[in-house]
Amino acid sequence: MREMKISLTFRKQVYAVFFVIILSLVRGVTYSDEIGIALETPMAILAFTFCADTYTQEIAGKRSEVWRLCPMKKRINVIYRRIVIQEMFLLAVAVIGYGLFFLFQNPSINRIRQSGSESELCRFFVYFAAIAVTLGFWGILSNLISCLSRNMWVGIGGCMVLWLITNSGIGDRTFGAWNIFSYSFRNIENSNDISWICGKVVCICIGIVAMAVLPNIIQKRG
Amino acid sequence: MGIRIEDLTVTFRNNVTAVNHADLEIPKGIFGLLGENGAGKTTLMRVLTTVLSPTGGTVTLDGILYSERNFEKIQRKIGYLPQEIDLYPNLSVQECLEYMGDLSGIPRATYRERIKYYLEKTSLSEHRKKKMKQLSGGMKRRVGLIQALLNEPEFLIVDEPTTGLDPEERIRIRNLLVDFSEGRTVLFSTHVVEDLAATCNQLAVMKNGKFLYSGNMKELLEQARGHIWICKTKDEGTARELEKKYHVSSKQYVGDELQMKLISETTPQIDCSSCEATLEDAYIYIANKGGKSPISCRDMR
Repeated sequence: MREMKISLTFRKQVYAVFFVIILSLVRGVTYSDEIGIALETPMAILAFTFCADTYTQEIAGKRSEVWRLCPMKKRINVIYRRIVIQEMFLLAVAVIGYGLFFLFQNPSINRIRQSGSESELCRFFVYFAAIAVTLGFWGILSNLISCLSRNMWVGIGGCMVLWLITNSGIGDRTFGAWNIFSYSFRNIENSNDISWICGKVVCICIGIVAMAVLPNIIQKRG
Repeated sequence: MGIRIEDLTVTFRNNVTAVNHADLEIPKGIFGLLGENGAGKTTLMRVLTTVLSPTGGTVTLDGILYSERNFEKIQRKIGYLPQEIDLYPNLSVQECLEYMGDLSGIPRATYRERIKYYLEKTSLSEHRKKKMKQLSGGMKRRVGLIQALLNEPEFLIVDEPTTGLDPEERIRIRNLLVDFSEGRTVLFSTHVVEDLAATCNQLAVMKNGKFLYSGNMKELLEQARGHIWICKTKDEGTARELEKKYHVSSKQYVGDELQMKLISETTPQIDCSSCEATLEDAYIYIANKGGKSPISCRDMR
Protein backbone atom coordinates (compact mmCIF):
# COMPACT_ATOMS: atom_id res chain seq x y z
CA MET A 1 0.00 0.00 0.00
CA ARG A 2 2.81 2.40 0.92
CA GLU A 3 4.59 1.53 -2.31
CA MET A 4 1.40 2.29 -4.26
CA LYS A 5 1.12 5.70 -2.65
CA ILE A 6 4.71 6.43 -3.65
CA SER A 7 4.79 5.09 -7.19
CA LEU A 8 1.16 5.61 -8.21
CA THR A 9 0.50 9.18 -7.25
CA PHE A 10 -2.90 10.69 -7.98
CA ARG A 11 -1.38 12.93 -10.65
CA LYS A 12 0.12 9.98 -12.47
CA GLN A 13 -3.11 8.01 -12.34
CA VAL A 14 -5.08 10.96 -13.68
CA TYR A 15 -2.80 11.64 -16.64
CA ALA A 16 -2.64 7.97 -17.56
CA VAL A 17 -6.42 7.60 -17.59
CA PHE A 18 -6.90 10.86 -19.48
CA PHE A 19 -4.30 9.74 -21.98
CA VAL A 20 -6.28 6.66 -23.01
CA ILE A 21 -9.61 8.48 -22.92
CA ILE A 22 -8.33 11.16 -25.29
CA LEU A 23 -6.57 8.59 -27.45
CA SER A 24 -9.71 6.50 -27.82
CA LEU A 25 -11.67 9.62 -28.74
CA VAL A 26 -9.31 11.06 -31.33
CA ARG A 27 -7.73 7.99 -32.93
CA GLY A 28 -10.12 6.54 -35.44
CA VAL A 29 -10.36 2.78 -36.08
CA THR A 30 -12.61 1.03 -38.57
CA TYR A 31 -12.08 -2.58 -37.60
CA SER A 32 -11.55 -4.01 -34.15
CA ASP A 33 -8.22 -5.60 -35.10
CA GLU A 34 -6.82 -2.08 -35.56
CA ILE A 35 -7.31 -1.25 -31.88
CA GLY A 36 -4.11 -2.98 -30.81
CA ILE A 37 -2.14 -1.04 -33.42
CA ALA A 38 -3.80 2.20 -32.35
CA LEU A 39 -2.89 1.58 -28.74
CA GLU A 40 0.55 -0.05 -28.71
CA THR A 41 2.84 2.81 -29.74
CA PRO A 42 1.07 5.55 -27.76
CA MET A 43 0.94 3.28 -24.71
CA ALA A 44 4.72 2.86 -25.04
CA ILE A 45 5.06 6.65 -24.63
CA LEU A 46 2.84 6.50 -21.58
CA ALA A 47 4.90 3.64 -20.14
CA PHE A 48 8.29 5.31 -20.48
CA THR A 49 6.98 8.60 -19.14
CA PHE A 50 5.20 6.89 -16.29
CA CYS A 51 8.10 4.71 -15.13
CA ALA A 52 10.98 7.15 -15.63
CA ASP A 53 10.79 8.36 -12.03
CA THR A 54 10.57 4.91 -10.46
CA TYR A 55 13.91 5.45 -8.78
CA THR A 56 14.87 9.00 -9.78
CA GLN A 57 12.15 10.36 -7.49
CA GLU A 58 14.55 9.38 -4.69
CA ILE A 59 17.20 11.60 -6.27
CA ALA A 60 14.77 14.45 -6.87
CA GLY A 61 13.50 14.18 -3.29
CA LYS A 62 17.13 14.17 -2.04
CA ARG A 63 16.52 10.83 -0.37
CA SER A 64 19.04 8.89 -2.44
CA GLU A 65 21.86 9.61 0.03
CA VAL A 66 19.82 8.05 2.81
CA TRP A 67 18.86 5.17 0.50
CA ARG A 68 22.56 4.43 0.01
CA LEU A 69 22.83 3.47 3.64
CA CYS A 70 20.12 0.81 3.28
CA PRO A 71 20.91 -2.79 2.29
CA MET A 72 21.27 -3.20 -1.46
CA LYS A 73 18.85 -6.12 -1.57
CA LYS A 74 16.10 -4.07 0.08
CA ARG A 75 16.67 -1.14 -2.28
CA ILE A 76 16.47 -3.31 -5.37
CA ASN A 77 13.39 -5.13 -4.09
CA VAL A 78 11.67 -1.80 -3.59
CA ILE A 79 12.49 -0.70 -7.14
CA TYR A 80 11.28 -3.99 -8.61
CA ARG A 81 8.10 -3.74 -6.55
CA ARG A 82 7.47 -0.22 -7.82
CA ILE A 83 7.99 -1.36 -11.42
CA VAL A 84 5.52 -4.21 -10.98
CA ILE A 85 2.91 -1.91 -9.40
CA GLN A 86 3.24 0.65 -12.18
CA GLU A 87 3.18 -1.99 -14.91
CA MET A 88 0.04 -3.59 -13.46
CA PHE A 89 -1.64 -0.20 -13.40
CA LEU A 90 -0.59 0.55 -16.98
CA LEU A 91 -1.85 -2.84 -18.07
CA ALA A 92 -5.21 -2.10 -16.50
CA VAL A 93 -5.24 1.25 -18.30
CA ALA A 94 -4.38 -0.52 -21.58
CA VAL A 95 -7.32 -2.91 -21.06
CA ILE A 96 -9.64 0.00 -20.28
CA GLY A 97 -8.33 1.73 -23.40
CA TYR A 98 -9.22 -1.30 -25.49
CA GLY A 99 -12.76 -1.16 -24.14
CA LEU A 100 -12.98 2.59 -24.68
CA PHE A 101 -12.14 2.15 -28.36
CA PHE A 102 -15.14 -0.12 -28.67
CA LEU A 103 -17.25 2.39 -26.81
CA PHE A 104 -16.22 5.55 -28.66
CA GLN A 105 -15.20 4.26 -32.11
CA ASN A 106 -17.73 1.45 -32.50
CA PRO A 107 -15.43 -0.56 -34.81
CA SER A 108 -16.65 -3.34 -37.04
CA ILE A 109 -15.64 -6.74 -35.71
CA ASN A 110 -15.84 -8.50 -39.07
CA ARG A 111 -13.04 -7.91 -41.52
CA ILE A 112 -12.82 -10.73 -44.05
CA ARG A 113 -12.10 -13.99 -42.41
CA GLN A 114 -12.90 -13.91 -38.75
CA SER A 115 -16.20 -13.46 -37.08
CA GLY A 116 -17.98 -14.08 -33.80
CA SER A 117 -17.11 -13.35 -30.21
CA GLU A 118 -14.55 -16.12 -29.94
CA SER A 119 -12.17 -14.63 -32.49
CA GLU A 120 -12.67 -11.23 -30.94
CA LEU A 121 -11.76 -12.64 -27.54
CA CYS A 122 -8.72 -14.32 -29.04
CA ARG A 123 -7.74 -11.00 -30.64
CA PHE A 124 -8.02 -9.32 -27.27
CA PHE A 125 -5.80 -11.90 -25.58
CA VAL A 126 -3.16 -11.47 -28.28
CA TYR A 127 -3.35 -7.71 -27.73
CA PHE A 128 -3.15 -8.23 -23.98
CA ALA A 129 0.01 -10.32 -24.26
CA ALA A 130 1.64 -7.93 -26.74
CA ILE A 131 0.83 -4.78 -24.79
CA ALA A 132 2.00 -6.38 -21.53
CA VAL A 133 5.40 -6.99 -23.10
CA THR A 134 5.49 -3.52 -24.67
CA LEU A 135 4.60 -1.77 -21.41
CA GLY A 136 7.08 -3.86 -19.46
CA PHE A 137 9.87 -3.20 -21.94
CA TRP A 138 9.45 0.57 -22.13
CA GLY A 139 8.87 0.97 -18.40
CA ILE A 140 11.97 -1.00 -17.48
CA LEU A 141 14.08 0.70 -20.15
CA SER A 142 13.14 4.23 -19.15
CA ASN A 143 13.83 3.44 -15.50
CA LEU A 144 17.21 1.99 -16.45
CA ILE A 145 18.26 5.00 -18.53
CA SER A 146 17.00 7.35 -15.81
CA CYS A 147 19.04 5.49 -13.19
CA LEU A 148 22.12 5.55 -15.41
CA SER A 149 21.88 9.29 -15.94
CA ARG A 150 20.30 10.01 -12.53
CA ASN A 151 17.76 12.09 -14.42
CA MET A 152 14.25 11.06 -15.44
CA TRP A 153 14.22 13.45 -18.38
CA VAL A 154 17.21 11.71 -19.92
CA GLY A 155 15.30 8.45 -19.46
CA ILE A 156 12.26 9.87 -21.21
CA GLY A 157 14.37 11.51 -23.93
CA GLY A 158 16.42 8.37 -24.58
CA CYS A 159 13.29 6.27 -24.89
CA MET A 160 11.69 8.87 -27.15
CA VAL A 161 14.62 8.62 -29.56
CA LEU A 162 14.35 4.83 -29.62
CA TRP A 163 10.58 5.11 -30.02
CA LEU A 164 10.96 7.44 -33.02
CA ILE A 165 13.47 5.11 -34.67
CA THR A 166 11.55 1.89 -34.13
CA ASN A 167 8.13 3.37 -34.79
CA SER A 168 9.01 4.47 -38.30
CA GLY A 169 9.22 3.10 -41.82
CA ILE A 170 13.00 2.94 -41.47
CA GLY A 171 12.63 0.97 -38.23
CA ASP A 172 10.19 -1.40 -39.85
CA ARG A 173 12.40 -1.96 -42.91
CA THR A 174 15.57 -2.29 -40.83
CA PHE A 175 14.36 -4.60 -38.09
CA GLY A 176 11.38 -6.29 -39.74
CA ALA A 177 9.86 -8.94 -37.51
CA TRP A 178 12.55 -8.18 -34.87
CA ASN A 179 11.34 -4.63 -34.44
CA ILE A 180 10.13 -3.96 -30.90
CA PHE A 181 6.92 -2.60 -32.45
CA SER A 182 6.49 -5.68 -34.64
CA TYR A 183 2.97 -6.15 -33.28
CA SER A 184 1.96 -2.76 -34.69
CA PHE A 185 3.70 -3.39 -38.01
CA ARG A 186 2.28 -6.90 -38.49
CA ASN A 187 0.00 -7.73 -41.36
CA ILE A 188 -3.40 -7.66 -39.72
CA GLU A 189 -5.05 -9.31 -42.68
CA ASN A 190 -2.98 -12.43 -42.18
CA SER A 191 -3.67 -13.71 -38.68
CA ASN A 192 -1.57 -16.81 -39.33
CA ASP A 193 1.56 -14.68 -39.51
CA ILE A 194 2.93 -14.69 -36.00
CA SER A 195 6.46 -13.62 -36.90
CA TRP A 196 5.85 -10.40 -34.91
CA ILE A 197 6.45 -12.49 -31.80
CA CYS A 198 10.18 -12.19 -32.60
CA GLY A 199 9.99 -8.46 -31.81
CA LYS A 200 8.33 -9.21 -28.50
CA VAL A 201 11.00 -11.79 -27.70
CA VAL A 202 13.57 -9.04 -28.29
CA CYS A 203 11.64 -6.84 -25.82
CA ILE A 204 11.58 -9.61 -23.23
CA CYS A 205 15.29 -10.31 -23.62
CA ILE A 206 16.27 -6.64 -23.35
CA GLY A 207 13.90 -6.25 -20.40
CA ILE A 208 15.48 -9.20 -18.57
CA VAL A 209 18.98 -7.82 -19.19
CA ALA A 210 17.88 -4.38 -18.01
CA MET A 211 16.43 -5.83 -14.80
CA ALA A 212 19.59 -7.84 -14.25
CA VAL A 213 21.98 -4.89 -14.63
CA LEU A 214 19.85 -2.53 -12.56
CA PRO A 215 21.42 -3.53 -9.19
CA ASN A 216 24.89 -2.74 -10.52
CA ILE A 217 23.76 0.62 -11.82
CA ILE A 218 22.06 1.49 -8.54
CA GLN A 219 25.18 0.47 -6.65
CA LYS A 220 27.51 2.48 -8.88
CA ARG A 221 25.36 5.52 -9.52
CA GLY A 222 23.45 5.57 -6.24
CA MET B 1 37.54 4.53 18.51
CA GLY B 2 35.45 6.97 16.44
CA ILE B 3 36.42 8.30 13.05
CA ARG B 4 39.90 9.07 11.82
CA ILE B 5 40.45 11.19 8.73
CA GLU B 6 43.94 11.39 7.33
CA ASP B 7 45.11 13.64 4.52
CA LEU B 8 41.63 13.60 3.00
CA THR B 9 41.25 15.33 -0.34
CA VAL B 10 38.16 15.63 -2.51
CA THR B 11 38.58 17.25 -5.90
CA PHE B 12 35.64 17.42 -8.28
CA ARG B 13 35.78 17.00 -12.03
CA ASN B 14 35.76 20.78 -12.50
CA ASN B 15 39.02 20.91 -10.48
CA VAL B 16 37.36 22.43 -7.45
CA THR B 17 38.95 21.05 -4.29
CA ALA B 18 36.24 20.90 -1.65
CA VAL B 19 38.34 19.13 0.99
CA ASN B 20 42.05 19.82 0.92
CA HIS B 21 44.43 17.46 2.75
CA ALA B 22 42.31 17.45 5.86
CA ASP B 23 43.17 15.55 9.04
CA LEU B 24 40.67 15.05 11.80
CA GLU B 25 39.83 12.69 14.60
CA ILE B 26 36.23 12.48 15.73
CA PRO B 27 35.89 10.80 19.12
CA LYS B 28 32.75 9.34 20.73
CA GLY B 29 30.15 11.88 21.81
CA ILE B 30 28.84 14.93 19.95
CA PHE B 31 31.36 16.57 17.69
CA GLY B 32 30.54 19.94 16.19
CA LEU B 33 31.45 20.93 12.67
CA LEU B 34 31.46 24.63 12.01
CA GLY B 35 32.26 26.54 8.88
CA GLU B 36 31.05 29.11 6.42
CA ASN B 37 29.03 28.15 3.33
CA GLY B 38 31.23 26.32 0.86
CA ALA B 39 33.81 25.41 3.49
CA GLY B 40 33.54 21.73 2.55
CA LYS B 41 31.40 20.48 5.44
CA THR B 42 28.76 18.81 3.30
CA THR B 43 31.40 17.26 1.05
CA LEU B 44 33.13 15.85 4.11
CA MET B 45 29.84 14.41 5.34
CA ARG B 46 29.13 12.90 1.95
CA VAL B 47 32.48 11.15 2.12
CA LEU B 48 31.71 9.91 5.63
CA THR B 49 28.36 8.52 4.45
CA THR B 50 30.11 6.74 1.54
CA VAL B 51 28.19 8.81 -1.02
CA LEU B 52 31.41 10.35 -2.33
CA SER B 53 34.74 8.63 -2.77
CA PRO B 54 37.70 10.79 -1.84
CA THR B 55 40.39 11.68 -4.36
CA GLY B 56 43.07 11.04 -1.77
CA GLY B 57 43.65 10.17 1.85
CA THR B 58 42.00 7.66 4.14
CA VAL B 59 39.03 7.49 6.46
CA THR B 60 38.42 4.82 9.08
CA LEU B 61 35.35 4.21 11.22
CA ASP B 62 36.07 2.22 14.36
CA GLY B 63 39.16 0.93 12.60
CA ILE B 64 37.29 -0.09 9.42
CA LEU B 65 38.85 1.49 6.35
CA TYR B 66 36.52 3.29 3.95
CA SER B 67 36.87 1.17 0.83
CA GLU B 68 34.32 -0.27 -1.54
CA ARG B 69 34.51 -3.73 -0.02
CA ASN B 70 33.81 -2.32 3.46
CA PHE B 71 31.05 0.06 2.40
CA GLU B 72 28.21 -2.25 3.35
CA LYS B 73 29.68 -2.85 6.78
CA ILE B 74 30.19 0.89 7.28
CA GLN B 75 26.77 1.85 5.93
CA ARG B 76 25.09 -0.36 8.54
CA LYS B 77 26.75 1.71 11.27
CA ILE B 78 25.68 5.09 9.91
CA GLY B 79 22.59 7.25 10.29
CA TYR B 80 22.36 10.36 8.17
CA LEU B 81 20.21 13.43 8.05
CA PRO B 82 21.11 15.41 4.91
CA GLN B 83 20.80 19.17 4.76
CA GLU B 84 17.78 18.85 2.50
CA ILE B 85 15.49 15.86 2.38
CA ASP B 86 11.96 15.63 1.07
CA LEU B 87 10.48 12.51 2.59
CA TYR B 88 7.56 10.86 0.79
CA PRO B 89 4.90 13.61 0.62
CA ASN B 90 1.99 11.21 0.08
CA LEU B 91 2.74 9.06 3.11
CA SER B 92 1.76 9.84 6.65
CA VAL B 93 4.51 10.42 9.21
CA GLN B 94 3.99 6.92 10.64
CA GLU B 95 3.92 5.29 7.20
CA CYS B 96 6.98 7.19 6.08
CA LEU B 97 9.03 6.12 9.09
CA GLU B 98 7.81 2.53 8.81
CA TYR B 99 8.79 2.57 5.16
CA MET B 100 12.28 3.79 6.04
CA GLY B 101 12.45 1.16 8.77
CA ASP B 102 11.54 -1.58 6.28
CA LEU B 103 14.07 -0.24 3.81
CA SER B 104 16.78 -0.29 6.46
CA GLY B 105 16.05 -3.93 7.17
CA ILE B 106 15.05 -3.38 10.79
CA PRO B 107 12.58 -5.95 12.20
CA ARG B 108 9.04 -4.55 12.20
CA ALA B 109 8.44 -4.83 15.96
CA THR B 110 11.74 -3.06 16.66
CA TYR B 111 11.20 -0.13 14.33
CA ARG B 112 7.61 0.32 15.52
CA GLU B 113 8.82 0.61 19.08
CA ARG B 114 11.55 3.05 18.08
CA ILE B 115 9.20 5.15 15.97
CA LYS B 116 6.82 5.45 18.92
CA TYR B 117 9.66 6.45 21.22
CA TYR B 118 11.18 9.04 18.91
CA LEU B 119 7.82 10.50 17.90
CA GLU B 120 7.19 11.16 21.56
CA LYS B 121 10.69 12.55 22.07
CA THR B 122 10.24 14.97 19.19
CA SER B 123 6.63 15.86 20.08
CA LEU B 124 5.32 14.45 16.83
CA SER B 125 3.04 11.73 18.25
CA GLU B 126 -0.10 13.74 17.63
CA HIS B 127 0.97 14.42 14.04
CA ARG B 128 1.84 10.84 13.13
CA LYS B 129 -1.26 10.43 10.95
CA LYS B 130 -0.66 13.64 9.04
CA LYS B 131 0.73 13.39 5.54
CA MET B 132 4.31 14.52 5.12
CA LYS B 133 3.23 17.24 2.71
CA GLN B 134 1.00 18.72 5.42
CA LEU B 135 3.87 19.20 7.88
CA SER B 136 5.72 22.42 8.54
CA GLY B 137 9.42 22.66 7.66
CA GLY B 138 10.42 22.11 11.27
CA MET B 139 8.25 19.02 11.62
CA LYS B 140 9.67 17.56 8.42
CA ARG B 141 13.13 18.16 9.82
CA ARG B 142 12.21 16.24 12.96
CA VAL B 143 10.84 13.32 10.94
CA GLY B 144 14.09 13.39 8.96
CA LEU B 145 16.03 13.14 12.18
CA ILE B 146 13.92 10.18 13.36
CA GLN B 147 14.62 8.31 10.13
CA ALA B 148 18.35 8.84 10.78
CA LEU B 149 18.02 7.46 14.29
CA LEU B 150 15.83 4.46 13.40
CA ASN B 151 18.65 1.94 12.99
CA GLU B 152 20.28 3.19 16.21
CA PRO B 153 23.49 3.99 14.32
CA GLU B 154 26.89 3.95 15.96
CA PHE B 155 27.79 7.00 13.90
CA LEU B 156 25.16 9.64 13.34
CA ILE B 157 25.76 12.44 10.86
CA VAL B 158 23.39 15.37 11.03
CA ASP B 159 23.63 18.27 8.64
CA GLU B 160 21.86 21.36 9.95
CA PRO B 161 19.31 19.41 12.01
CA THR B 162 17.85 22.51 13.64
CA THR B 163 17.15 24.48 10.47
CA GLY B 164 13.62 25.81 10.47
CA LEU B 165 12.91 24.86 14.07
CA ASP B 166 11.54 27.24 16.66
CA PRO B 167 13.61 27.79 19.84
CA GLU B 168 11.75 25.16 21.88
CA GLU B 169 11.99 22.57 19.12
CA ARG B 170 15.69 23.33 18.74
CA ILE B 171 16.32 22.73 22.40
CA ARG B 172 14.35 19.47 22.23
CA ILE B 173 16.33 18.24 19.23
CA ARG B 174 19.62 19.26 20.80
CA ASN B 175 18.76 17.36 23.96
CA LEU B 176 17.71 14.35 21.93
CA LEU B 177 21.06 14.38 20.13
CA VAL B 178 22.92 14.67 23.43
CA ASP B 179 20.98 11.70 24.87
CA PHE B 180 21.59 9.73 21.71
CA SER B 181 25.31 10.44 21.67
CA GLU B 182 25.98 8.32 24.76
CA GLY B 183 28.43 5.66 23.66
CA ARG B 184 28.08 6.77 20.04
CA THR B 185 29.57 9.34 17.70
CA VAL B 186 27.42 12.20 16.49
CA LEU B 187 28.78 14.61 13.91
CA PHE B 188 26.73 17.78 14.21
CA SER B 189 27.22 20.22 11.39
CA THR B 190 25.55 23.57 11.73
CA HIS B 191 25.74 27.30 11.19
CA VAL B 192 23.93 27.90 14.44
CA VAL B 193 26.77 28.46 16.83
CA GLU B 194 24.52 28.41 19.92
CA ASP B 195 23.51 24.86 19.06
CA LEU B 196 27.11 23.75 19.23
CA ALA B 197 27.77 25.77 22.35
CA ALA B 198 24.84 24.00 24.01
CA THR B 199 25.75 20.46 22.95
CA CYS B 200 29.40 19.89 22.10
CA ASN B 201 32.67 19.81 23.92
CA GLN B 202 34.67 18.99 20.83
CA LEU B 203 34.45 20.74 17.51
CA ALA B 204 36.25 21.51 14.30
CA VAL B 205 36.22 24.70 12.27
CA MET B 206 36.44 24.32 8.53
CA LYS B 207 37.37 26.86 5.90
CA ASN B 208 38.28 26.37 2.25
CA GLY B 209 38.38 22.60 2.67
CA LYS B 210 40.81 22.67 5.61
CA PHE B 211 40.42 22.45 9.34
CA LEU B 212 41.44 25.71 10.96
CA TYR B 213 40.81 24.30 14.38
CA SER B 214 39.92 20.99 15.89
CA GLY B 215 39.70 20.22 19.55
CA ASN B 216 38.15 21.31 22.76
CA MET B 217 35.65 24.16 22.84
CA LYS B 218 37.30 25.69 25.91
CA GLU B 219 40.63 25.85 24.12
CA LEU B 220 39.00 27.52 21.16
CA LEU B 221 37.54 30.17 23.45
CA GLU B 222 40.94 30.45 25.11
CA GLN B 223 42.57 31.17 21.75
CA ALA B 224 40.14 34.04 21.16
CA ARG B 225 40.62 35.45 24.64
CA GLY B 226 42.18 38.91 24.56
CA HIS B 227 41.12 39.50 20.98
CA ILE B 228 37.50 40.46 21.57
CA TRP B 229 36.78 44.07 22.35
CA ILE B 230 33.76 46.12 23.22
CA CYS B 231 33.52 49.74 22.28
CA LYS B 232 30.83 52.39 22.18
CA THR B 233 30.41 55.26 19.83
CA LYS B 234 27.80 57.88 19.05
CA ASP B 235 29.35 58.82 15.74
CA GLU B 236 28.08 56.89 12.71
CA GLY B 237 31.19 57.71 10.73
CA THR B 238 33.40 56.14 13.40
CA ALA B 239 31.15 53.06 13.45
CA ARG B 240 31.48 52.69 9.69
CA GLU B 241 35.24 53.14 9.95
CA LEU B 242 35.45 50.42 12.59
CA GLU B 243 33.38 48.05 10.46
CA LYS B 244 35.78 48.55 7.59
CA LYS B 245 38.81 47.94 9.77
CA TYR B 246 37.73 45.12 12.07
CA HIS B 247 35.41 42.16 12.21
CA VAL B 248 32.29 43.17 14.06
CA SER B 249 30.63 40.19 15.69
CA SER B 250 27.75 42.17 17.12
CA LYS B 251 26.41 45.68 17.38
CA GLN B 252 23.45 47.09 19.21
CA TYR B 253 22.12 50.43 20.36
CA VAL B 254 22.44 51.00 24.07
CA GLY B 255 20.65 54.24 24.72
CA ASP B 256 21.89 56.68 22.11
CA GLU B 257 25.22 54.91 21.73
CA LEU B 258 26.13 52.12 19.37
CA GLN B 259 27.87 49.28 21.20
CA MET B 260 30.11 47.19 18.98
CA LYS B 261 31.99 43.98 19.58
CA LEU B 262 35.21 43.99 17.62
CA ILE B 263 37.53 41.13 16.86
CA SER B 264 41.12 42.14 16.52
CA GLU B 265 44.51 40.64 17.26
CA THR B 266 45.68 44.01 18.56
CA THR B 267 43.94 46.63 20.66
CA PRO B 268 41.66 48.67 18.38
CA GLN B 269 42.49 52.33 17.95
CA ILE B 270 39.48 53.50 19.88
CA ASP B 271 38.44 53.61 23.49
CA CYS B 272 37.47 50.01 24.20
CA SER B 273 37.72 47.21 26.72
CA SER B 274 38.49 43.53 26.39
CA CYS B 275 35.59 41.13 26.97
CA GLU B 276 34.86 37.40 27.23
CA ALA B 277 34.67 35.56 23.93
CA THR B 278 31.58 33.64 22.96
CA LEU B 279 31.81 30.67 20.61
CA GLU B 280 30.60 32.89 17.79
CA ASP B 281 33.38 35.42 18.48
CA ALA B 282 35.93 32.64 18.70
CA TYR B 283 34.73 31.20 15.39
CA ILE B 284 35.01 34.58 13.65
CA TYR B 285 38.44 35.06 15.20
CA ILE B 286 39.73 31.65 14.09
CA ALA B 287 38.15 31.84 10.65
CA ASN B 288 39.70 35.23 9.94
CA LYS B 289 43.00 35.04 11.76
CA GLY B 290 45.62 37.02 9.90
CA GLY B 291 43.54 39.91 8.71
CA LYS B 292 40.11 40.98 7.67
CA SER B 293 38.62 39.01 4.81
CA PRO B 294 35.17 39.40 3.25
CA ILE B 295 33.56 37.04 5.81
CA SER B 296 31.46 38.69 8.49
CA CYS B 297 29.22 37.44 11.20
CA ARG B 298 26.35 37.71 8.75
CA ASP B 299 27.49 34.33 7.45
CA MET B 300 26.68 32.94 10.85
CA ARG B 301 23.35 32.87 12.56
